[in-house]
Amino acid sequence: MILVNTETVKTQRKTKKKKGPVLNHEGKWGLLMVTPYLLQFIIFIFFTLLASLYFSFSSYDMLNPPEWIGLENYNKLIQDPVFWQSLKNTIYFTVLFVPTQTILALILAVALNQSLKGLKLFRIAHFIPVISSWTVVLYVADAIFNPRFGLANDLLVKIGLQPQQWLNDEQQVIPVLVAVAVWKGVGYMMVIYLAGLQNVPEDLYESAEIEGAGVLKKFRHVTVPLISGTTFLVLVLSTITTFQAFEQIYVMTGNGGDITSAGGPDNASMVLMLYLFQQGFSFLKMGYASAIAWVLFLILFVITMIQVKLQKKWVHYEK
Amino acid sequence: MKDISRLFIPLAGVIVLLLAGCSDTSENQEEADADAGSTGSDETITLGYYSSGSADEKMEDIISQFEEEHPDITIETQNSPYQQFFQKLDTQIAGGNAPDVWLSDGVFVQKYAERGAAKDLTEWIDNDLETDEYYGLDFNKGPEGKYWAVPQGIQIGALFYNKDMFDKAGVEYPDDSWTWEDLKEAGAELTLDTNGNTAENAEFNAENINQYGLTFFNITEGWMPVLKSYGGGVLDEDLQTSVIDTPENLEAVEYMTDGMERGIFTDPSDLQAFQSPMSPFPSETAAMRIGIYARTLAANETGVNYDVTVLPKGPDGERFSPVIANSWIINEDTSDAKAEAAWEWIKYWVSEDDVQRQWAELGEAVPVKKSVANSDMFLNSGEKPENKQAFLDSFEFADTLDVNAVWSEWVDQMTDNLNKTFLNEVEEEEALESADKDVQQVLDEFYED
Repeated sequence: MILVNTETVKTQRKTKKKKGPVLNHEGKWGLLMVTPYLLQFIIFIFFTLLASLYFSFSSYDMLNPPEWIGLENYNKLIQDPVFWQSLKNTIYFTVLFVPTQTILALILAVALNQSLKGLKLFRIAHFIPVISSWTVVLYVADAIFNPRFGLANDLLVKIGLQPQQWLNDEQQVIPVLVAVAVWKGVGYMMVIYLAGLQNVPEDLYESAEIEGAGVLKKFRHVTVPLISGTTFLVLVLSTITTFQAFEQIYVMTGNGGDITSAGGPDNASMVLMLYLFQQGFSFLKMGYASAIAWVLFLILFVITMIQVKLQKKWVHYEK
Repeated sequence: MKDISRLFIPLAGVIVLLLAGCSDTSENQEEADADAGSTGSDETITLGYYSSGSADEKMEDIISQFEEEHPDITIETQNSPYQQFFQKLDTQIAGGNAPDVWLSDGVFVQKYAERGAAKDLTEWIDNDLETDEYYGLDFNKGPEGKYWAVPQGIQIGALFYNKDMFDKAGVEYPDDSWTWEDLKEAGAELTLDTNGNTAENAEFNAENINQYGLTFFNITEGWMPVLKSYGGGVLDEDLQTSVIDTPENLEAVEYMTDGMERGIFTDPSDLQAFQSPMSPFPSETAAMRIGIYARTLAANETGVNYDVTVLPKGPDGERFSPVIANSWIINEDTSDAKAEAAWEWIKYWVSEDDVQRQWAELGEAVPVKKSVANSDMFLNSGEKPENKQAFLDSFEFADTLDVNAVWSEWVDQMTDNLNKTFLNEVEEEEALESADKDVQQVLDEFYED
């Protein structure tokens, strides 16, 4: 899909150069058609982005007009230990989450891409967590990881191990959150993979079989390279979602829906989006929150750029 | 249609005009409203409040009664659940279209007052209200002595106790003679591990508890009443300087950590096991709690056999009850005519006996008007707790939670530091020292400009 888009853009550019006038008849119609969207984009996205950039250089409590303070917010950010901890936690979350979810999604997709009895049922079962709200997922997760009444501790005790504190433990909180996030998110990525798998031509498998390839070899040398475009998409999407993770951590670690207590214990699960929200909306430091948002944007931008650059090395698009 | 740009330009123009038109209309509308006000005719005001289930209906009821009695005033309401309400309100204030009058959580009054969003009501209150007739007006005064809001209902803290658990353990009910040490002693007999041993038993296992002596949470229903009755506290009188690192606070914190270590009090990680940190008492997992008036609702709903009494005394006989006066605030930016209409609403709310009674029936808050709060209707409503008088008696030693413009932020710092010592990660002295530094930093950042 990505390839098709870039190709069209390229052809368009070429025709543009040849034709001379800035916009031809079709181009003008096109522009007319996108005008409502463009206006909406300019008013509600572009200007708000500019405004948040301006706020990041000012002291702004929302209730009074912003005051320009130059780089002060960014200076403060560099010296703020909670910001660094949130960044570290966010990266840790991403490093655990993205590969786990991607690999599991691929395995599930391959497993559910065969002709099986009750295939749809299995696919739906894996997709249900995706459409459940985080509040619902919280109750399911609590039934398992509650330190007093949870199933996980019941099981540990039954096999003679020590019960754990799970979300209350600084070391365990992020792995537990990742486990729940994977459970909730894997179905979506599985669907994307299923679409990718359906595009792999049958005849390639047939020729591989003729060459004597077994199941694993076919997977390794036919499936994996041919769906590398999908893998790339899945990686980029999951990275962005984890960097923007908020709701899950807010509902799972905030004691009784209290935003200021979320991110615990002792900031062990404080991630950038949560910190941003807390600073901006609970403490009315919108300028500082905007600075965090822009740093988050820059980090995401750089990571996505690296992913795009690296894709040439391993992503294979079918011509 | 050969040249599309002919169509494109007017279309863009129309859209721009439409957008500009939107803002024009609202300005005209406001002017018209202002004119109307000055000639003494109809006034429409917007009223914002956070909703809480059954209370919404009653609020709508009272509003229509008000409109009947004040035919020249129309009230338009805006309400949403608590968290969203305040998020939306802050953005509305930023955008200059906040309600003309809104209901604020008591702990946020100073946030709006000190940032210039709340109207100074001192003159109106002095002229129109007999201040002696109401509870809690002074709880919304800033350090400079101005009134910023008028209470809508009062939350005040008392000691809740489960009578069945006390009877079963053969412990005498708490009364006004209790000190915090007495509470801990009784609490030890009321704390049971999974094997049924009390905290006084040598075989007691503090890691596996079935029933706590006292449940304990956060600032209002947790550490603040203890700190204050031990003679400590968080901020000094000007509310800009931390007084956390004191021997009185240390004694109070040591009292609390000892109770948690022995399993008598819930610590922050114990509470994580519950759906809500509020649930141990109504679910009968704790024999006592420090609770504000609104907690009677949950306890009545689950049918706990309980009563209340005043909070215990500190070692020197000092007592403290936390109070939160949820209040009406008038928007500083609203026109004079609308502000006056909003003031009519506030006066109607607090001074009309009938309104006060209707609101009290919901059982959400202690009525603001003393005559209603002291009437049979409130004190002997037939609903638990029997000793509602304890809430009224508590006004004698009640005070706010050192509320200032950066309250949420310093509470967050204080809680983080205290939780570390509650969870036995750092020593009490260290936690107080570090809290003192962190809280002062929050205060300096805001007040030094």
